[in-house]
Amino acid sequence: MSSAVVNADDELEPTLQSILDQKSLRWIFVGGKGGVGKTTTSCSLAIQLARVRRSVLLISTDPAHNLSDAFSQKFGKEARLVEGYTNLSAMEIDPNGSIQDLIGQADDQEGEVAGGMGMMQDLAYAIPGIDEAMSFAEVLKQVKSLSYETIIFDTAPTGHTLRFLQFPTVLEKALAKISALSTQFGPMLNGILGANGGLPNGQSLPEMMEKLEGLRETISEVNGQFKDENMTTFVCVCIPEFLSLYETERMIQELANYNIDTHSIVVNQLLFPKAGSDCDQCNARRKMQKKYLGQIAELYDDFNVVKMPLLVEEVRGKDRLESFSEMLIKPYVPPAGGL
Amino acid sequence: MPSLLVIVFVLQLTIHLVNTFGVETINNVLWHLYNMLPVPTSQSANKLRVLKKEYNTVRMQMNATSSQDEFAKWAKLRRKSDKLGEEIEGCKNTLDSTRANFNKIVGGLRWLGLNGFRMLLQFWFQKQPMFWIPQGWAPYYAEWLLSFPRAPVGSVSVQSWSIACLAVIQLVSDAVVAAVALAATPRSAGVKQREAMKVPGEKTTPAQEGKAPEKKEL
Repeated sequence: MSSAVVNADDELEPTLQSILDQKSLRWIFVGGKGGVGKTTTSCSLAIQLARVRRSVLLISTDPAHNLSDAFSQKFGKEARLVEGYTNLSAMEIDPNGSIQDLIGQADDQEGEVAGGMGMMQDLAYAIPGIDEAMSFAEVLKQVKSLSYETIIFDTAPTGHTLRFLQFPTVLEKALAKISALSTQFGPMLNGILGANGGLPNGQSLPEMMEKLEGLRETISEVNGQFKDENMTTFVCVCIPEFLSLYETERMIQELANYNIDTHSIVVNQLLFPKAGSDCDQCNARRKMQKKYLGQIAELYDDFNVVKMPLLVEEVRGKDRLESFSEMLIKPYVPPAGGL
Repeated sequence: MPSLLVIVFVLQLTIHLVNTFGVETINNVLWHLYNMLPVPTSQSANKLRVLKKEYNTVRMQMNATSSQDEFAKWAKLRRKSDKLGEEIEGCKNTLDSTRANFNKIVGGLRWLGLNGFRMLLQFWFQKQPMFWIPQGWAPYYAEWLLSFPRAPVGSVSVQSWSIACLAVIQLVSDAVVAAVALAATPRSAGVKQREAMKVPGEKTTPAQEGKAPEKKEL
């Protein structure tokens, strides 16, 4: 009896209720290795959040867009209401698309297409990870103008995510350098380029610098918000298998390096064979999963560890997602008498 | 107050010794001596040693732990080793910068104490004769050269004395080095080396000679 009480005090509750209760949260990232159920988890979390918040936006930055699949509804680059909800919207952004758009804009203004891409494109592609940053900046600009209370990012698999989060810092540094250089050499460049500072293709240097500066400001502002644990949290999704756990550990350490708060882990695809089940695979797998669950409990004792069962059907469509999302809040009770 | 002659000689000897043993070695020795004093750097050097030891034990433990079977333990060890690694890196950086500073200061002091002091002596006593040479010992131009630049003719100037000291020290040190080298290498080793030395390409061993035609046949 007493041990049960101690346990209840000791371990954090195995739900995402804390995220729902923390009203100041503005950015929520959902990430993990590929195929562990990030999209399902983020959709479920969005559904639950939509019940307690004024408005929620779900953004997928994964190039393999699954939001459309999960909700059985086509989403695009613009935020669109999810069918059946009044305060839940979703959008899918393509990390590769928006740089083309950005460059395309500059060309359209001049009205010349032939040979117009040259310099700006070279410059833009020279910065590593610029495509992601561009899409990121575009989204942030949009999101800032819209007034969503909470924004959930369904991120691409692990490596991608971390680069995405790291990028603001990198770009900020690069842009600070460029700005400093341009103030030093600007006059000289202008002397070479002519009085109005025109680059080839009719772009002007000051204008370009202004654009980059604007981008930098947006990014640094958001960067500050990401590092504020009251505004941003990261939900790690994993399955109880070695590689997934390994990646999760690595991700949590790196997030700590970036000062991004994370205090929830969703362990997905748990098997709960019924009592007396004669499915060898299920029983063996359950044993293995139990081992890793024990390890998770030992390692992440200061995390909310949510255990989600593997269902017999695919979690697609509004109704199934809703019933699945319930389990994020009310812990799933495995069938009695199982392993 | 020892005589100026002795001071100049000792100074030249010291400069020569410093140049022979190398600035680096002397800096290292001084650094070690400095760290024996209760200074903050010696504490951080100690800390670094302790950290490195700890890091190694943690790494060994981590390597001995199966990441698949005891993931929690392994991950905790890894966190610890990462943290220790970072600490070591930071500690090293501060130590390195202190060391660089130390080297700079020691180098400056050394220069002032040796070359600076020498220049000062040579400037200060340039008009003063070190000693007089008996009249008629040397022709006038040699006397003039010995008293160069500003000592009275017929005497030896401090510059000439320095150069003479340097030359003697150089000769003696060369002789000592040669003697030591001769004593250190056993006679037989030298002979063997001479035997082993062959002009490349002149003579081939029988085995090689035998192989060459075979290869041609192939």
